[in-house]
Amino acid sequence: MTDHFMRKTILGELEELVLLVVAACNEDVYGIPVMEELQQQTGRDFTISAVHTTLYRLEEKGFLSSSVGGATAERGGRRKRLFALTAAGGEVLLEIQQTRTRLWQSIPQAKLELMGLSANPF
Amino acid sequence: MKKSTNSLPDQPPRWADQLLEWFVAPHLLEYIQGDLHENFHKRVVKVGIARARREYLWAVFHCLTPFFTKRQTIKSSYSNQPSTVMLSNYLTIAFRNLWRQKAFTAINIVGLSVGLASCLLIVLYVLHELSYDSYHAHADRIYRMTMHARMDEKDINLAYSTGPSGQALLRESSGVEAVTRLRKEGAFLVKHRQDIIKEEKVAFVDSNFFSVFSLPMMKGSPKNALAEPNTLVLTQTTAQKYFGKADPIGQSLTLGNLGLFRVTGVCEDVPSNTHFHYDMFGSFESVKTGDKWLASGAYTYVRLREGHSLTQVETISRGFVSKYIAPEIKEFFGMDFTEFQKKGNRFGFQFQPITDIHLHSDLDDELEANSDAKYVYIFSVIAFFILLLACINFTNLSTAGSASRSKEVGIRKVLGSVRTQLVTQFLTESVLLTFFALVLALVLVFLLLPSFNVLSGKQFTVNDLVNGRLLMGAVVCSLVIGLLAGSYPAFVLASFKPITVLKGKLQIGGRGGWLRNALVTTQFVVSIGMIVATIVANRQIQFMQNKKVGFDREQVLVLHDTHVLEAKADAFKAELAKLSSVVKVASAGFLPAGHTSQSVDGVQIQDGARTATHRTKGYYIDEDYLPTLGIGLAQGRNFSKAFSTENASVLLNEAAVRTYGFKNPIGQQISTVGDGSAGSKRTYTVVGVVKDFHFESMHQHIAPLVIFYGKDNNQLALRIQTNDIPTLLQKIEQQWKATTDNPFAYSFLNERFSKMYQSEQHISQLFAVFAGLAVLIACLGLFGLAAFTTHQRTKEIGVRKVLGASVTGIVTLLLTDYLKLILIATLIASPIAGYTMSQWLRDFAYRIDLPWWAFALAGVLATVVAVLTVSYLAIKAALVNPVKSLKAE
Repeated sequence: MTDHFMRKTILGELEELVLLVVAACNEDVYGIPVMEELQQQTGRDFTISAVHTTLYRLEEKGFLSSSVGGATAERGGRRKRLFALTAAGGEVLLEIQQTRTRLWQSIPQAKLELMGLSANPF
Repeated sequence: MKKSTNSLPDQPPRWADQLLEWFVAPHLLEYIQGDLHENFHKRVVKVGIARARREYLWAVFHCLTPFFTKRQTIKSSYSNQPSTVMLSNYLTIAFRNLWRQKAFTAINIVGLSVGLASCLLIVLYVLHELSYDSYHAHADRIYRMTMHARMDEKDINLAYSTGPSGQALLRESSGVEAVTRLRKEGAFLVKHRQDIIKEEKVAFVDSNFFSVFSLPMMKGSPKNALAEPNTLVLTQTTAQKYFGKADPIGQSLTLGNLGLFRVTGVCEDVPSNTHFHYDMFGSFESVKTGDKWLASGAYTYVRLREGHSLTQVETISRGFVSKYIAPEIKEFFGMDFTEFQKKGNRFGFQFQPITDIHLHSDLDDELEANSDAKYVYIFSVIAFFILLLACINFTNLSTAGSASRSKEVGIRKVLGSVRTQLVTQFLTESVLLTFFALVLALVLVFLLLPSFNVLSGKQFTVNDLVNGRLLMGAVVCSLVIGLLAGSYPAFVLASFKPITVLKGKLQIGGRGGWLRNALVTTQFVVSIGMIVATIVANRQIQFMQNKKVGFDREQVLVLHDTHVLEAKADAFKAELAKLSSVVKVASAGFLPAGHTSQSVDGVQIQDGARTATHRTKGYYIDEDYLPTLGIGLAQGRNFSKAFSTENASVLLNEAAVRTYGFKNPIGQQISTVGDGSAGSKRTYTVVGVVKDFHFESMHQHIAPLVIFYGKDNNQLALRIQTNDIPTLLQKIEQQWKATTDNPFAYSFLNERFSKMYQSEQHISQLFAVFAGLAVLIACLGLFGLAAFTTHQRTKEIGVRKVLGASVTGIVTLLLTDYLKLILIATLIASPIAGYTMSQWLRDFAYRIDLPWWAFALAGVLATVVAVLTVSYLAIKAALVNPVKSLKAE
């Protein structure tokens, strides 16, 4: 239990979102696509610096790994840092998912209906 | 045109990029900047160039977080090693390096140790000055009560208070815990069996003196030893002097005309950091102290109760004026207190913390001449400068010497050394060097201590030096100096890029060269400033010594304490006058230099309808005085035995004639005010005017002086004419011994005169010493630097010689660099030194103009010394066969 508890506390909301975006992406994952995807999915504005900071932090925690990717002209010949989900990253996402499911399922159906939330998202 | 190429229309703002490149850590820069650029181009398409650029700027500012600015730290693969292994390695390498560069090491150590030694000595001095009277228990609650008055438009600030004031305070103020008083009655001829010894340091104190001041009693009771009249406490040394190993308690001594005193106690010698130093403490009851507030005085010390403020005590003391002093005003001055006040006169008491007396008190009749906080500041500043010079030297030499180590740094880096290790290596070396310097400095201090004691007038022993705190401080200080002075070279060296240095390119120069030049210039600014100060101080002292003082101070012998001769004085004088080498003998209690009697009186002048009162100093002399001292007459006549009315005659000096406004002084009447009573008021006729002579030090303008006819036999002045002074002294001593048992003491007027300016002489000597040290340190620095640059230019010199340059040409080339620095240093130092010294000169009423040539001389001196230092190296470098220098490397 403590293990679960700890892992969840070290993953902030933005971190979780970024981790999910990285997991969902098929192409090269670096700062720009992640930022765009986040903006698209949440409708909120994110700065590149915030995205970078989060990516590096996740890498430090061992949920992401990075490598150096190719450069393009519009980047002024600068290379990209590409990120990929690690096994630990996958596990932590799964755990979060399971925890949420458990919690949702423990809500009594009557209460859900009372709040007008009859549909169980999972 | 340049601008447009710098910022193409579809490029983000150039300066924003530069900002980004500047603050973002290198290992993150490429990716974040790439992303930013990519996004920028996307935004240009979507929202237009102007907005995209604004957004870019905004995004750049968002990167200004610790995450992006923090530089990556590389961990060494060796960092897991136990630290002792690395430490011993650092030490070994440090020793090897220091040994390999013996000359550099020696220059560095010598420079730093000279700096440290002088700094230690000064710290010793300053700490001692600051420690005065702080050793007494509850020193923070002990105050000295002083009296301040204004009478006849002149301020009087006395170090003592009136006799009854202390007891009154104890009675009326609940905040006062104890009051103790001290009186000095001058010197005593102390008789023990057959011996008579003159004792200058005798005080009479209340019986609780030893409970207020922490002067431990070794024998006798600290509480009751001085309860009875005619009891005496001796210091340990004095007790030994009189009684040897015998028990002094119960023994007796005769103190001059006060009669027999019984020794009731022995206390430890008064510590040197006390504002008084007495050898004998008699009981206060043994001397008469009047109970009148205006006709008695005693040094009064007050200890407050814990937690009690001084304000309440001050308020009560203010009440004393109307309560006790006002009634006496009528008695002494013959006028009402209100009338007295209306004339602008006033009385008041003040309280000074006992710890402030030594450095901050300069009142009339201090127990001892106090020091001045000014000197503490001056010496602290000097110590700081000397240390600064030494540190600059150290930094400079190490940075310069680092050139030869650039390859080492390159190799180390290639082999995997990381920055921290290199920095530690170099810091270890510099700390090691400072500790060597510290050891040498301690040896130097040990050797110099006796001379320093003479110079500073203190008695420091090795114990003062090695006692805990100072030594600890010195060690900590050396560590800090080592780290600070070593840090610049350490970081410069550690930041070398391995590829460049291994290619043989030196990364020193440019900014580093500029810094080194600035440091050398600073050193010379300080040196030149101190040379100027020394020259000016010396000139002023010479000026005072050589200025015509209005009397002939050569060949005047002064015999001390001749009042003991009493009735035999005239016969003794007549005998002396018979000696062939004695020209004239005069009673000379009043003398313009050294110990003298004092007299001040109010002088009233009646000039037609006008009456004015002036407080004027007075002299009492006999008819032989003026010829003996060689004081000239401007008008009228000297006193003479031929006139029976001399007791109503008076001489004035020229300053008095000017002040009193006499056009025709001879025959004018003046009268003295005395103490206000009718009997003390007398009228005199001016019979002569003496030429102005300096009867006070040259700090003051020559004041008005009234000279009365009288005999003050406290001293005798003899005008002598002989080359064989020892024989004459012998003859006089024989004569003395035949007349009295008292000790024979004498001095020469010119020596007494020189002593008046002793403190100025001390200052000037100290300045000379420290200026010398500053120059020495600066030269060591210059020598090291020159050695380095000449070495660097070996090839250049070789090429120049091959192309036909002469030796003189090359030497000049090498010297010009340094001469430029010295010229700049002279230009900077001159106004600073000029301003400071003109402030110092303001203390003197008679002073020299600031000699302009002092600046030039200081500059020339510095130049000569610098040229001597550098030219050896320059000539050596210029003489080397070019074949050799070109083959090098």
